[in-house]
Amino acid sequence: MAISKEAYRVLEAIVGEDYISSDPVVCEGYRSGPAGYEAGLGYERVMTKVPGCVIMPLTTEEVQKIVKVCNRYKIPYVPYSTGWYGPRSHCHVEDELLIDLKRMDDFEIDEKHLYALVGSGVIYSQLQEEAMRRGCYIIVGGGGSQCSAIANMLGDGWSPLSYRIGLPHRRILGTELVLPDGELVKLGSLAVGDDPFWGDGFGPDLRGLLRGFTGLRGCLGIVTRMAIKLLPFQPEKLEPTGISPNTTLQLPPKRVKWINFTMPSKEAMKKAMFEMARAEIGAGATKVPIFWRAIAKARCKEEYWDIWSKENEETISSFHLLRVLLVGFGSEEQLEYEERVLNDIITELGGEARRTRPTDESWFKNADSAGMWLMCGGYVSVDYVIETLEHAIPHGENYAKLKRKFTPPLMPDYGDPGWFQSFELGHQGYSEFLVYWDPDVNTDGVDHFYLETSKENIRKRFYTSLLGPHQPLYLTGPAYGPNYHKWLLKIKDEFDPSFLSHPPVPLAHDHFVERAEWMRPMKDWESPKFAP
Amino acid sequence: MTVKTELSKIVKPENFFDDPEVLNSYSRDFSLVPPGVPNYIVKPKTVEEVQKVIQLANKNLLPVVPVSSSVHFHGAAIPKQGGIIVDLTRMNRILEIDEFNRRVRLEVGVTWEHATKALVKKGFRLMMPLAPHPMRSVVIDHLEREVITNTVYDYGEPLQSMEVVWPTGEIFRTGSASVAGYPDSPSKGANPSGPGLDFYRFLQGAQGTMGIVTWANLKIEYLPAMDRVLLAPVDDLGYTIDFLHRILKVRIGQECLLLNNTDMAALVAQKWPDDFENLRASLPPWSLILILSSMARHPEEKLKYEQNMLDEIIRNGFSEVRLVDNLPGFPSIGKKLLVLLRQPWPKDKPYWKHRYQGGCQSIFFITRPAMAPQFIELMEAVAAQYGYPVDDIGSYIQPIEHNRACQMQFDIFYDPTSEFDIEMVRSLYHDAISILASEGALFTRPYGELADLVYESATGYATALRRVKKVFDPNNIMNPGTLCF
Amino acid sequence: MLKGKLSLDVTNLDNFEYDMSKCIKCKGCYWVDHIYMPGVTFSTRCPSATRYMFDSYGAYGKMRIGLAMLEGRMEYSDELLKTLYACPLCGACDVGCKRNLDLEIELTLEALRIKAVKDGKGPMPAHKKVAKKIDEKHNRFGSPHENRKKWLTKDIKVAAKADVLYFVGCSAAYTSPEIARATAKILNAAGTSFMLMPDEWCCGNILYSVGMIDEAKKLAKRNVEAVRKTGAKTLLVSCAEGYRMWKVDYPKMLGISTSELGFEVVHLTEMAAELIKKGALKFAKPLDMRLTYHDSCSLSRLSEPWTPWNGERGEWGMVSPGLERRRGTNGVYQAPRDILEAIPGLELVEMIRMRENAFCCGAGRGTQEAFPDFAAWAAEQRLFEAKEVGAEGIVATCPMCKDNFARVARQNGEDLKIYDISELILAAL
Repeated sequence: MAISKEAYRVLEAIVGEDYISSDPVVCEGYRSGPAGYEAGLGYERVMTKVPGCVIMPLTTEEVQKIVKVCNRYKIPYVPYSTGWYGPRSHCHVEDELLIDLKRMDDFEIDEKHLYALVGSGVIYSQLQEEAMRRGCYIIVGGGGSQCSAIANMLGDGWSPLSYRIGLPHRRILGTELVLPDGELVKLGSLAVGDDPFWGDGFGPDLRGLLRGFTGLRGCLGIVTRMAIKLLPFQPEKLEPTGISPNTTLQLPPKRVKWINFTMPSKEAMKKAMFEMARAEIGAGATKVPIFWRAIAKARCKEEYWDIWSKENEETISSFHLLRVLLVGFGSEEQLEYEERVLNDIITELGGEARRTRPTDESWFKNADSAGMWLMCGGYVSVDYVIETLEHAIPHGENYAKLKRKFTPPLMPDYGDPGWFQSFELGHQGYSEFLVYWDPDVNTDGVDHFYLETSKENIRKRFYTSLLGPHQPLYLTGPAYGPNYHKWLLKIKDEFDPSFLSHPPVPLAHDHFVERAEWMRPMKDWESPKFAP
Repeated sequence: MTVKTELSKIVKPENFFDDPEVLNSYSRDFSLVPPGVPNYIVKPKTVEEVQKVIQLANKNLLPVVPVSSSVHFHGAAIPKQGGIIVDLTRMNRILEIDEFNRRVRLEVGVTWEHATKALVKKGFRLMMPLAPHPMRSVVIDHLEREVITNTVYDYGEPLQSMEVVWPTGEIFRTGSASVAGYPDSPSKGANPSGPGLDFYRFLQGAQGTMGIVTWANLKIEYLPAMDRVLLAPVDDLGYTIDFLHRILKVRIGQECLLLNNTDMAALVAQKWPDDFENLRASLPPWSLILILSSMARHPEEKLKYEQNMLDEIIRNGFSEVRLVDNLPGFPSIGKKLLVLLRQPWPKDKPYWKHRYQGGCQSIFFITRPAMAPQFIELMEAVAAQYGYPVDDIGSYIQPIEHNRACQMQFDIFYDPTSEFDIEMVRSLYHDAISILASEGALFTRPYGELADLVYESATGYATALRRVKKVFDPNNIMNPGTLCF
Repeated sequence: MLKGKLSLDVTNLDNFEYDMSKCIKCKGCYWVDHIYMPGVTFSTRCPSATRYMFDSYGAYGKMRIGLAMLEGRMEYSDELLKTLYACPLCGACDVGCKRNLDLEIELTLEALRIKAVKDGKGPMPAHKKVAKKIDEKHNRFGSPHENRKKWLTKDIKVAAKADVLYFVGCSAAYTSPEIARATAKILNAAGTSFMLMPDEWCCGNILYSVGMIDEAKKLAKRNVEAVRKTGAKTLLVSCAEGYRMWKVDYPKMLGISTSELGFEVVHLTEMAAELIKKGALKFAKPLDMRLTYHDSCSLSRLSEPWTPWNGERGEWGMVSPGLERRRGTNGVYQAPRDILEAIPGLELVEMIRMRENAFCCGAGRGTQEAFPDFAAWAAEQRLFEAKEVGAEGIVATCPMCKDNFARVARQNGEDLKIYDISELILAAL
């Protein structure tokens, strides 16, 4: 049923005629694919739709009213900050209302109490610049500076700088959440007043509804405002330099330094991360996948392939590059001390420092993430897991082995076992496995690989970020918890019994497997029958 | 079969109690929360036993109150509607010490004393609140969000994944412990988040209303190789708080806290009551305790640069701060404070909060540090109204997260054998929390009557909480009458 | 054309199917380069998307809409035409995208307009009026063609023949004669002999920009021939839009490279910077002003020379032969700044969005004509930015920019001074 005239009129009255449209041209502009994160794949082709209507609210109150109207008129809706996360943040059913939150870009910052209060329309590079200007910093998630800060804090929120800063969960402070029925629940200190500086709940913490590790893609409500914790940085400016495409931040050499080290083995790299954590030095510690270095060097796609095609299994397996970030948070002396300790560790382990540019374009203000698509035009991370280093390394190796069966259509990476790094001063380890493919060839193999990784994680007892909305819920559900899916669906039923908020998430991947005939043979788990 | 019989069968008769004396021993604690008597007490040893107890409770619609320590201060473990006390103190194994990942997995009954001893042997320590009672559950204290004295680790939050028995009776693991077969898995349980929902958040601060946690993974840290304990007398609290904003932002210090003379005296006095009274009189109004530490590699150099940073900050803006490594008339204060802050309270001494008058009602809340002087004034005004000597109030300010926030704690000491004292403190407490809350104090751990106060202003939050609670505990058996449930 | 033969020929939208289908919605085309992100204000560089806000108005939306047009899934409508045309084709999107990827956004947008015209649906009515004026009077204002040289004053020396041909352009000839006069006098002062076109016609900027490629190409052929006939070695312009037309779009339409034009295309700022370095231009009079410089799009990010290309796209989307893409790196950014910094007494303060991040004035390439409110709005944004950095005035290098800023400043009662750089150079000599 298309959005009725009555409903449209009511919605228009909420935001004003300039901020709502059901024009087919406007709506086409919100199509998910055919390119983007995870786009061009079966999920995107089968599961996403162009919205029936787009609305752009300005305030939390408007969002509430819109959601209540949707409940009244049974209009399915999806919240949308930038659309960057790919098909999973786009409409999945016909005649759906897409609630574009870009106008909600309010911003306040309190550097003394280390938080910024933002609306959904504020992106990371904006927040990072405002923070750095005041001697603070944030983590810009791997998705890049173009991510909505709120959206990324809800589903991701980590980078090599998580080595010191840690999980994003504690950095979500006072938050406004519009529930799927339009009721507003304020979390943290906002529950009792206007001050958003504190995140803990009163008694049990309802921030538990927000993430579930990598987010619920808006199927349990819309976050419209969030206070995000900042961390103290060092006082010198990271100067932007260069002209596109070669723009970068010049690092103040006595306060902020990246150093690349070649290590003799993966074990040595792991040990280096361990020793760094033990010595409590560093602000970032990550392995560097070779293909990223090729992207950084290449001036175009063809040059990338020229560089990449010179690699092979042997060069990959013998290349171990550890990239370490040192920050003299308190003084130059601190950085000197940490560098001394670091050099001791690296020397002990047989590593060697390489010439490293005193610049950054990838992490402080991550301007590079779009480069992931340079190679082939298609990219997705089939997993990104925070666990321990002891989990991260075999996890990546396992994926590399599995991936061989699906290469092609996946881009050959000569067995590269993914990206791993140390988090929370060694308490955690992170592994991410990125895959690339040419979207203009048959990509069924990529869809299969995506699902196969889920099964492999279950078989091998790995933790995974791709739970909830990301993989078939009835596949992962019984395997984790166990039966986390029952609780998720019960909570969903409590707050959104009509499945109006981003339907059919969190069952979207279940639906996909049912609908896509090339996926059906992979289904070897039980699930109820899904309505079309 | 009667409930009694079934319970005895589940935990074995020697672990079942319904003797009135025993029941009464669970009916009150060190708080002012009115007594409440349970009907039964069980002491399970395994999660399966816990599960069966909960299943039985659901069948009979009996309340269940989980108790993990043998000492309680806030009334959360006092049954409000009778029911079954599930005393988990027998579940007290240290399940794993994972040195590589700096993680420890503790059953919920493991005490601070037990855990600290075991970890020290391996060169590790737990993040700790101020002088916790040695018989308190480590897991529960972290679950209840006790604020720790260590300010330096940016990632915070020691709690990782857990095992819980839901109020519906399912055994469940949160975070990365949720993988099948854990701990026989590559996953070590180091990630608290997920799967699907952040279940661990529902269990935090829940006072046993959302399920029974049976074990948890916690982060542990290395014991420093070197420490330098510094103290500073504080006359001007506002000035010192500004100083802390400055130094904690550059991550100076491991432990950092402010204690007023009364609390400081209660913590460090050796001989009672003389030492206590002398210290109270001679200590400055407040003392800043700051511990600089370094790890194994080039420890002196680390201390040196940190001291240099500290000195420069003092030189360039805080010349009135006088950090010293001693306390006149109190030899080895440094060593003593190090023990105080890195070990639980010794078992063989009366708990520090009870040393002065035998009883203590603590009022603690989160606030912005700049508000501290104002809250102190308010607290003193309320105390004065009740004739409570202002000098008797113990005060503690714990900076949190680079001093962007702090926990304020007022310790109201009283004689628990005096009916008069009890009633006076009860009224004082009631008025104090009301006034403090109205001025912005955040009581994020609403024990006892705080719950009514808090949820009256957080009605939206309470409504949402009840909806979540309904999902996990449809029969409302878990510690009913607590929080907003 | 996703795989197989293709070229950078904008007359066939099929050549850009790959580009449209590979837009990842990163909005690098919308945001200021994240490295330079100044915070929560002045964060964007796409005027259309900033103004109209729906995704359809950003390149990320237009690529999807374009693909729908190519695949026959999109019907023409007023909204579609507005989406295609309420856009100054400023190139911010192209440069932003090409920081990380190899997609031809600008060319796609041009090709979409050409398709709209070919399909009989575009351009906008206001553009058709301008096209008629150009056809009849050889200028975009419809003013008498014979008045084209009226800007010339007696004190300006024009050579009958010289290596340098000054192409004045419609704006400087008719509505901003101070620019033409200043340019001519600067050349005179430097002792650089210059000639004019015997019969100067409109460069066709608006025609090309709105997709009327047949008409634009006719003009291009005619104009290039006319210049070649004069034997000029250098074609000098003082208009950024004209600069881009001659240097980039003429070769593009004629299927040749910039170097094959037979003459060098130079903007006044490039020439003047050189003359100052050589000492042929000397500043004597201080100008005590705090001014900011506006990077006109067509002089900056859109101005790299053109080389035609055709080849094939194959595995992983790679093209062969290799293609050196125009990413805006080598636009004329520095020369105007060198000039302004050389003027004594003049304090140059940069706007927050500068160089390839500059926010378009909103007037160029047909936008002013069809969407005057939008052009005014864009100018307002830039004027506000100039005031934010404490500038007393803005310096532009294009009469369209100057005209738009001046009009809006006047309408809003702003006391910001608006200059073309030629005026300042002359005043300081």
